[in-house]
Amino acid sequence: MTSRALFVGLTSVVIAVVLQTTLFVNDSLRFFDATPNLVLVAVVASALALDAEPAIFLGFTGGLLTDLLGGSPLGLWSLVMTVVAYVAVRLRGMVVDRWLLVVPGVLLLAIGAGVLFVGDATLFGEQPFKDPGVFRIITLTAVYSSATALVIVPLMGWAMQPRRTRRNAAL
Amino acid sequence: MLRSTRRPDRTNVVFIGLVVLSFLLTTYDVQTAGAGGIVTGLRNGAEAVFTPVQKLSSAVTRPVVNFVDGIANLAGLRSENEALAIEVARLEQELAEVEVLRAQVEALQTAANITVPDGLDAVEARIFAIGPSGFDNVRSIDKGSADGLGVGMPVVDHLGLIGRIDVVFENQSRVRLITDPSVRVGARVVRTGEVGWVSGRGSGPLLLEMFDASEVVAEGDQLVTSGGRFPPGLLIGVVVEGARAEAGFALRSTVDPYIDVSGLDYVQVFLETRQDEQGEIESVPPDDAPPIAPPEETP
Repeated sequence: MTSRALFVGLTSVVIAVVLQTTLFVNDSLRFFDATPNLVLVAVVASALALDAEPAIFLGFTGGLLTDLLGGSPLGLWSLVMTVVAYVAVRLRGMVVDRWLLVVPGVLLLAIGAGVLFVGDATLFGEQPFKDPGVFRIITLTAVYSSATALVIVPLMGWAMQPRRTRRNAAL
Repeated sequence: MLRSTRRPDRTNVVFIGLVVLSFLLTTYDVQTAGAGGIVTGLRNGAEAVFTPVQKLSSAVTRPVVNFVDGIANLAGLRSENEALAIEVARLEQELAEVEVLRAQVEALQTAANITVPDGLDAVEARIFAIGPSGFDNVRSIDKGSADGLGVGMPVVDHLGLIGRIDVVFENQSRVRLITDPSVRVGARVVRTGEVGWVSGRGSGPLLLEMFDASEVVAEGDQLVTSGGRFPPGLLIGVVVEGARAEAGFALRSTVDPYIDVSGLDYVQVFLETRQDEQGEIESVPPDDAPPIAPPEETP
């Protein structure tokens, strides 16, 4: 892992947070009123390229930023994204160089993240289960996230490679 | 005796440490109700760093998104144009009937003892960011304490009540929508004048609960705010299904909010904060609504 990869990963997560909060203000890009979880996709893409510990720290950071800019108590998304990064790190041996596996991988991780968030939020007195569409939101977000992962994960993987590797790949 | 020399995996240690830290953060935030020094400092810091970037991003992406949306709809524009011509003719005919309806509405408001907030100072604001996750029923607006906004102030658009100011910073604020499960609004059924609660259910319709209802609510009944923490008479929504109170039980029904949550853009904030005796949750007001209190101090 290079410092460049870490920089790209961190920048990508920050950009994902900004886009997540601004790109879907209008309903034009919503998919049945759901939005992709761009932060989760960026965290997974980083976890595939970074060393284990920095990847998990990056997941925690992405979750913390989501908490800080959202309406839920601090730490809920930090926990979820840390778990997502950890699972992605542990499973990445299965998907490296097999990018198509990223789509079902992100789909399952996003569903797991949604379920974990709802459980964690309920534990701390939030009321996500009052929303009758809670499972619809989890499912659609996961589908949308996995679709965007098809573009974002290879792009980030390419950007996080060392320059020499990228040049050789281009040649 | 053999001693195990195997050290714990550093990755696992980091993971467990961060999970524990997350739990501690949540516990602290919940215990301090979001007002803890560390949490406030972190949120203020994040807002200070991210607000300019979010506003820039919103300014850049909004026209692009609208353009893409326009391209996507190009095929449908021709048929939409023809439909609009027919609609204009129909609306001209309806216009004549509006005056009659206006008189009926005034009579209805008088009958229901509704006082539409009149002469309140309001600030217009624009939504530039939404909550990052699908479970966040919050919006960020581009006005803050520098414009006179304070926590608890009601936010409306041309369709009705949107929510209330949740967190205020100098140049931006966060609005918690009426669809959020933590928000309860005192409501009055326009037709009967009876009062109850409306609470959010995320992406689902609002929930109406009336504990002393003597009359049924019917499909299509209009609900307005009854007072308490919101000025009375603000449109909330329309009853989806009729219901009656069974003996000993509360009347429960569902309500479609007037506002289009996913299409919110410009909003208005009423520059008044109403207090009630129960603090966070506004009470169904007694006949004599509490006086208007001065705006609270910005946290």
